[in-house]
Amino acid sequence: MNGKRVIVIGGGVGGYPAALCASRLGANVTLIEREKIGGVCLNKGCIPTKVLLHSASILREIKRASLFGLNTEKIEIDLHRLLDRKKTIVDRLTGGVTSLLKNKNVKVLKGTASFTDSKSVRIAETGEVLTGDKFILATGSIPATLSIGGSENISLLTSDDLLNMDFFPTSLLIIGGGYIGVELGQFYSRMGVKVSILEMLDRIIPTEDEEISRALEGFLSKEGITIFTQAKIEKITKDGKDKRVIFLTPEGAKEIRTSEVAQTVGRRPHYSGMNVDKIGLKREMGRITVNDRMETNIPHIYAVGDVTGGIMLAHVAMAEGECAARNALGYPSSVSSLAIPRCIFTSPEVASVGLTEKEAIREKGEVQVSCFPFHAVGKASLIEETEGMIKIVAGKKYGEILGFHIIGPHATELISEAVLAIEMEVTVDELAHIIHPHPTLSEGLGEAAMVLSGGALHLP
Amino acid sequence: MAIQVLMPKIGLTMKEGKIVEWKKKEGEWVQKGEVLFVFETEKVTFEVEAPESGILAKIIVKADVTVPIGAVVAFLVQKEGEKVEIPMEKSELIHEKKEERPLESRTLKPNKIRATPLARKMAKEHGLGLENILDLSMRGRIRSKDVEAALHKKPPESLPVQRVEAGKLVKFTGMRKIIAQKMLASKIETAQTYMANNIEATRILEARERLIPIIERKVGIRLTINDILMKITASAISLHPIINTRWTPDGILWFDAIHMGMAMALEEGLIVPVIWDIGKKSLSEIAKMRAELVEKGRKGILTPDDIKGSTFTLSSLGMYSLEEFTAIINQPESAILAVGTILDKPVVINKEVVIRPMMKVTLSYDHRVIDGAKAAQFMKTLKELIEDPISSLP
Repeated sequence: MNGKRVIVIGGGVGGYPAALCASRLGANVTLIEREKIGGVCLNKGCIPTKVLLHSASILREIKRASLFGLNTEKIEIDLHRLLDRKKTIVDRLTGGVTSLLKNKNVKVLKGTASFTDSKSVRIAETGEVLTGDKFILATGSIPATLSIGGSENISLLTSDDLLNMDFFPTSLLIIGGGYIGVELGQFYSRMGVKVSILEMLDRIIPTEDEEISRALEGFLSKEGITIFTQAKIEKITKDGKDKRVIFLTPEGAKEIRTSEVAQTVGRRPHYSGMNVDKIGLKREMGRITVNDRMETNIPHIYAVGDVTGGIMLAHVAMAEGECAARNALGYPSSVSSLAIPRCIFTSPEVASVGLTEKEAIREKGEVQVSCFPFHAVGKASLIEETEGMIKIVAGKKYGEILGFHIIGPHATELISEAVLAIEMEVTVDELAHIIHPHPTLSEGLGEAAMVLSGGALHLP
Repeated sequence: MAIQVLMPKIGLTMKEGKIVEWKKKEGEWVQKGEVLFVFETEKVTFEVEAPESGILAKIIVKADVTVPIGAVVAFLVQKEGEKVEIPMEKSELIHEKKEERPLESRTLKPNKIRATPLARKMAKEHGLGLENILDLSMRGRIRSKDVEAALHKKPPESLPVQRVEAGKLVKFTGMRKIIAQKMLASKIETAQTYMANNIEATRILEARERLIPIIERKVGIRLTINDILMKITASAISLHPIINTRWTPDGILWFDAIHMGMAMALEEGLIVPVIWDIGKKSLSEIAKMRAELVEKGRKGILTPDDIKGSTFTLSSLGMYSLEEFTAIINQPESAILAVGTILDKPVVINKEVVIRPMMKVTLSYDHRVIDGAKAAQFMKTLKELIEDPISSLP
């Protein structure tokens, strides 16, 4: 034990890994959490949405069971049972984290912390004041909202609400076609709700490769989700029990009548009520400013995860949390932003790492691109998931993998190989020559590389 | 915010560095890029520049102290009065990664340089050896960025550079590389030592005067002092065959014939054409062959056969009015003779000071093969023969 007192504020996926790591490095660690250990990811983000989406995808499998030679009876959706299961899973995982913290002797305090000076915090609920040598802020983010004309007296749902609805509305309009909007949109659509998605930009999941986002738009539309892009909300009004949403599109003003309206327009860093002004913590555009070592402008205060803006993903927060703990305790460390995978758990799933084709062209000039369709992969045929593709963006001269984009079955599992490839600066030649197991979907990754390295085996 | 200054890693095998000198004092302002300190590793010193401008707030590692790579050696601050937060005890700054496998120990097997596939491709494309690339990212593996830095000779910011003086880099020719290898090998692999003597040249100058018209008539070549010296040296060697040997792993190889190398300067560098079996050749034959080889050298048409197989070499810089010099043994030979110019000098003969044409010859010999006394005996014979050339005739 080196006896450094480390105080971690926030017990989400940024905070708890920071606390575990700091404790492992010999510090005396206290973690303060206002709500539940596990933060957004475990309680109202990654985990609960994936629980719901998994049920939705089983439902789809059952509905098309006859394709596989299986006839099924009438299916019933038991929403309460589904929500119970969600709670059970969440409890199991947060319970796991709690016991990990306990094992590592991390002291966990429940309450809302705010700085009294740069070396101490006060817990509002108990009045307790704690002094520390190092602080790691991991206070996360909250759903962002738009101010929409006429909506003052209308309750608009957030992603938090969409995870806890105890009934299915007849129809649901989702404002924002990012990953949260499309995931929850697909869940409700598959549960029989008439879903519309409104996106302000010219395509849904706009940070992904254009080809991939167009493909997903096609899949979702085919399933019955109505998608409007370049749609700007004008007004929301009440219409009996329903809402009337008026929005502008390039084709003119449109109007949709819907039972519920939800906003999934991103998240914003959360640190209000923490007295960050008082201690002079530097912020930019609403986020706490940090360098690649997770250091803020105050030498003994670090910040990680969503509160620092940037890429708001759980696995990024985890890496940052460990990095901050290391630096705080004198083990120099920095976070590589090179190979961060991005996953969208719709079906088909979307997963990517590295640069999109457009970004790569902007950054490198000439690039080479391959697209390998899943219909040429044997395993995809036998599970009847032949739609989708694997796209590689590689350097023109050396074939180094710059971007890897998958839309298709189990894309989120398949992407890990690509993350390793980018992190290790693998070129298409190496990827094309390693042996992929047969019959698996991963064969498609090798074939996509072969397209740029002498030709694919299973393409005409 | 305080900026940490770290002990950098120069080259793949560096594990620690010793601070030789701090160029700035605590409290002094330093401009980004100015030299902050000098460190030493494996007997090579490097200057480290300040990663950022600022005040040198705290020197953690004083001069003459050795620390591992990555250790914090100092802190810079950007504003005066800014407090330096020193994370912990001094010793703990020195990167004791207890629970992690240290980067270095798991990196290199000997001769195996770790590099990403992209880095390998790039280095190969540019003909850059991986051993010449620094792992600037300190991740135990050369990455594409490191290759780019090596190609642009512009390492990323905050990493120290070896200062290169202004000048023009001229790539080696193959010949320069071979000369370099041979010379260095000779110095490293042999036990070279030297022995010199003053020799009166009156009689060989006379002999040359008398022989010039005869040989010119016979073979159309103007006889040189070197031709005569080669002939006489061959005669001396035949009396002291230990000079005409080669060191081999299994024993000393004594040659039957003397193949005389004659060191020759070309624009591109040194070359040593060979007069084969010189002991059996007449002076006119030697002059003729010498002239042919010089001509071929000038035209650049010497064949490999012309320049290999010598068993002893004679090097003369007499034409540069050089009094004396030493030569490096032309391996795998055992000795080389360096001949200076002939100068009129006062010498004592019969207790009187007289003026005589004198030359100084210096023998470099491999003491593994030739002992000093043997070398001295050869030098004595050589002196006698040069001073009285007729005695070489029998």
